[in-house]
Amino acid sequence: MIRRSVLGLAAVLALAPMAASGQGTGTVTAGFGAESTMLDPVKYSAGVDHYFMGQMFEQLVRVNPEQRVVNWLAESWSVQEENGKPFIDVRLRKGVKFHNGDPLTSADFEFAYNKMRDPKISRWSHNQAEVERFEIVDDHHFRIRFKQADGNYIANFLQLWAVPKAYYERVGEAEFGKAPVGTGPWKFVSRTVKDEIRFEAFADYWNKDHRPKAEKLVIKVIPEDLTRVAAFKTGAIDFLDAVPLSMVEEFRKMPGVKTLTVVTGNNLFLNFNTHQEKSPFRDVRVRQAAAHAIDVDAIIKSVLFGQGERYVQVGKGGVGYDPELKPYAYDPKKARDLLRQAGFPQGFEIPCYNLTTPREPNVKEVGEAMFAYLTQAGIRCRVQGMEYAAWLNLARMGRNAPPEMDGVFSHMWSQNLPGDPGTAWAGHVHTFVPGKGWGSYSTTSDAEADTMIAELKLTMDPEKRAALARKIARYKHEKVLGGVPTYRPMVTFAWRTDKLDFTGWPYPGYWRGMQEVVVKK
Amino acid sequence: MVILALVVIAAAFGENVAPHDPNGLNLAAAFRPPVWEPKGEWAYLLGTDNLGRDILSRIIAGARVSLVSALYAIVFAGAIGGLIGMISGYFGGVVDAIIMRLVDIQMSIPALALALVIAAVFGADFDTVVIVIIVTYWTWYARIVRGEILSLKERDYVALAKVAGCGTATIFFRHLLPNIMNTLLVLATLQVGQVIIFEASLSFLGLGIQAPDVSWGLMLSDARNYITNAWWAITMPGIAIMITCLSANMIGDWLRDTFDPKRRQL
Amino acid sequence: MRPSGTFPREWGKVVTGYFLRRVLQGLISIVGASIVIFFISRLSGDPIVLLLPTEAPPALIEQVRQEMGLNEPVWKQYLIFAGKALGGDFGKSYRWQAPALELVLDRLPATIGLALAALAFSILLAVPFGVLSAVYRGSLIDTLGKGFAMLGQAMPNFWVGLLLVLIFAIHLDVLPAYGTGSAAHVLMPAIALGWYPVAAQTRIVRSAMLDVLDSDYIRMGRAVGASERVLVWKYALRNAAIPLVTILGVYFAAMLGGAFVVETVFAWPGVGRTVVEAVFSRDFPVVQVGVLLTSILFVTSNLLVDLSYGFIDPRIRYDR
Repeated sequence: MIRRSVLGLAAVLALAPMAASGQGTGTVTAGFGAESTMLDPVKYSAGVDHYFMGQMFEQLVRVNPEQRVVNWLAESWSVQEENGKPFIDVRLRKGVKFHNGDPLTSADFEFAYNKMRDPKISRWSHNQAEVERFEIVDDHHFRIRFKQADGNYIANFLQLWAVPKAYYERVGEAEFGKAPVGTGPWKFVSRTVKDEIRFEAFADYWNKDHRPKAEKLVIKVIPEDLTRVAAFKTGAIDFLDAVPLSMVEEFRKMPGVKTLTVVTGNNLFLNFNTHQEKSPFRDVRVRQAAAHAIDVDAIIKSVLFGQGERYVQVGKGGVGYDPELKPYAYDPKKARDLLRQAGFPQGFEIPCYNLTTPREPNVKEVGEAMFAYLTQAGIRCRVQGMEYAAWLNLARMGRNAPPEMDGVFSHMWSQNLPGDPGTAWAGHVHTFVPGKGWGSYSTTSDAEADTMIAELKLTMDPEKRAALARKIARYKHEKVLGGVPTYRPMVTFAWRTDKLDFTGWPYPGYWRGMQEVVVKK
Repeated sequence: MVILALVVIAAAFGENVAPHDPNGLNLAAAFRPPVWEPKGEWAYLLGTDNLGRDILSRIIAGARVSLVSALYAIVFAGAIGGLIGMISGYFGGVVDAIIMRLVDIQMSIPALALALVIAAVFGADFDTVVIVIIVTYWTWYARIVRGEILSLKERDYVALAKVAGCGTATIFFRHLLPNIMNTLLVLATLQVGQVIIFEASLSFLGLGIQAPDVSWGLMLSDARNYITNAWWAITMPGIAIMITCLSANMIGDWLRDTFDPKRRQL
Repeated sequence: MRPSGTFPREWGKVVTGYFLRRVLQGLISIVGASIVIFFISRLSGDPIVLLLPTEAPPALIEQVRQEMGLNEPVWKQYLIFAGKALGGDFGKSYRWQAPALELVLDRLPATIGLALAALAFSILLAVPFGVLSAVYRGSLIDTLGKGFAMLGQAMPNFWVGLLLVLIFAIHLDVLPAYGTGSAAHVLMPAIALGWYPVAAQTRIVRSAMLDVLDSDYIRMGRAVGASERVLVWKYALRNAAIPLVTILGVYFAAMLGGAFVVETVFAWPGVGRTVVEAVFSRDFPVVQVGVLLTSILFVTSNLLVDLSYGFIDPRIRYDR
């Protein structure tokens, strides 16, 4: 039997800087670079959807500023076992209300589960595939019963979102998407796609220590970097999301402005084709040569203006993070030696595919720099830039055909925050298995890695999971499987100190939680 | 004229003239300002970009891509559009009606939207850009040439040639073509600037020229990421576009006034 | 080039016939445009992978593909689309899960507003430039005006936009960098967009002005001792403006086309930006509707131009 300790509320309280009483005042106007497509948590499809959804909706657990998972709508939860099958036992927090006044009960989570497992509704139905049934014990106690263990379920914050069953059923799916109701600190007011979304503080928010300090929150959508910055400088917005990398230094020195820089949940790496017969990257020495050829630190410093965090397989604080694992050092001479040993004294020429759409800031330039380093070491890149859709099509393995990607590929796959590599490794390290969802973007095939990754999926125990992930990370690192990890992007927020106070609670890197923004009088 | 000549020379002999490899990466030399600034260096006359690449060398390399793509596109658009316009104007009737409807259809789609979709379909690269420009610009030639032919074919010498039993091809290339050459030339010159800007817009949006090729539009697209750090990186390629288009347009205006003083709206 | 007072009696019939023919041609263009965009965009690869999480299993991908009707042959997809479109249903945006028509229609006023503002900006420059350069032919004003106008024709509008933001919003902090609402908001995007046609418009005003200033009408005015200023700015301009006014529709259409890039720079919530983003995310229904609406505007404004030519100058032959 596995027990997970309940993190005391006291610990959470200690993190809260000031206990606000009663209603907040004033309006916070924030400028975001990207916006959610959908507001309905059972229908959302992309990570960016959290930006708006995360202000209104909540899950059973969430990430605190120290990047730890803490209980949120769950008062406590644990993984237990019965007849050889695992289940997650959840006790719901009492006194939680939806924006329309309905109390949160187990039935609401059951409703969410039923929606989220339906492939006609949810884009993430495969995440519920291992669940056998949802069992309500009472209004504040339920169990998620599994057919077989599913480690990713825990890695993904217990998956489920609190959705008001009664309201949803009354207004219907379309209407709910237009006027969503959750348990979160912000109540939905209105939205204009590609322009803005408006919220007001939820006076009955259950977590009294984390009630919004402002009365209203307006998020403006301004994708063009320069325009967003100008809007901040002219005072049209008080809170700037995603300060352009090149301006972070300038913002840090700016009088009357404060900044917060945090790492985001994405993981970038350079992948190789090892599937095709003639690929030079089938030789581990060539892969190691590539890893030694690139000065990732220099790239982070100049191309990313320092706004990136080097990682080796798993980011700091993630499941399987191993502080002893050191990245391959930049050593062009060693890279050449390795190439020579592998039988390429003159190096070789290879197509190098670069993502040019800024899915993360400056990825295109990072790719250009990496490919220039490879070329200098003898892996002569024929660079081909590709916009996102073309890049994704190339990256994705044909349903039954061999991979078309025949060279080097700049890739990314989020391990989320605090970070769990299970899903990412299943997708880009595990061998491609048609129809099973394994290795859907993989150009790697290694039996030992496959066995361990499959085992990781079945491991729900946090300790065992971390140990196994560490083992895989070491193996993956030594053999340079599934590419060379490079960096995790960082994001910087800036706000005007004369108008706002922002403590970054909850952890804002991925979800952009805004509830701790305080408007000064 | 002089400027255009310089640009053409730069495009032709770019590799020999350029002080640096346009794609030569040197992270240690990133963001060097132009030589006249306090921290400028003679090694990098117009400064360097975020990857330490020499901007002058990149402008020279970009001149080739920008001009060559423009020339290719204009020559083919002119040839295809011109021929279709001649056929349409000369034969008239159903052929004319069909061709003109096609032209109408094409012209009713915003050029940049069509270009974006095509580039997205075929994968953005040099060849696609050229094709996209041809697809966008042939209609202009077709329409204007058709108009010219309509009036030309009423002339006596065309009628005479027909009576004399000259083949259609002979009439086209011996009698009609020389008479529309001036128009084609003026139109082509006036389009050089437009096409360069069109290419720059496509590249700016990310569906034009892709690295490692260098184009002015691509340089601008890159430079906007660090616009406040290096004003020169966003200014210089823009100025290159500006003076090239300016000189092409001036030559075009001059040609128009010389060949065709009455038609002011070509 | 002055409106003439009396039309022949058959005129009405000729105009009606011509009008109907032109409208028909316009409709053909629009339907053709919809076919072209539909077929080309369907070639552009599978949008499904963009819509689903990266680890989505193949079964889900196949199911979503079927839901969206992407398994049918393209021609059949088009017929289905066209049938529904006639009933006003242009499908749902893949990305936003909302009716595509609604998404684009919401953006239309912003784009039209921007195009009109840009047009106004260009005319405000072109008319004085054109008049002055005609009156003071060959003078410094003529050269300067021409130079300024030509400059606009030689710069990419997005570059002008970026420089304007850099100078006026970031360094001088005098203009709002983005957003809609006030006149100040529209100023920079309108300049970026409206500078380009100034050269051509100036040329039209200038040559028309030269013609008019040479006419008997103005000479007579001079003879009776009317003030030169009144003659130029009131009587001459009124007539010289006609050719410009008649082709404003063409420039309006051009502004709509240019808006695709400018809207992106200024985060202008218009059709152009919506379509550009939709192309990148392979959101076919939105691309389709966006392009179609712009095409309709294109065709309509060109149609109005053609028709207004005829009304204003009956000498134009209506037989194309």
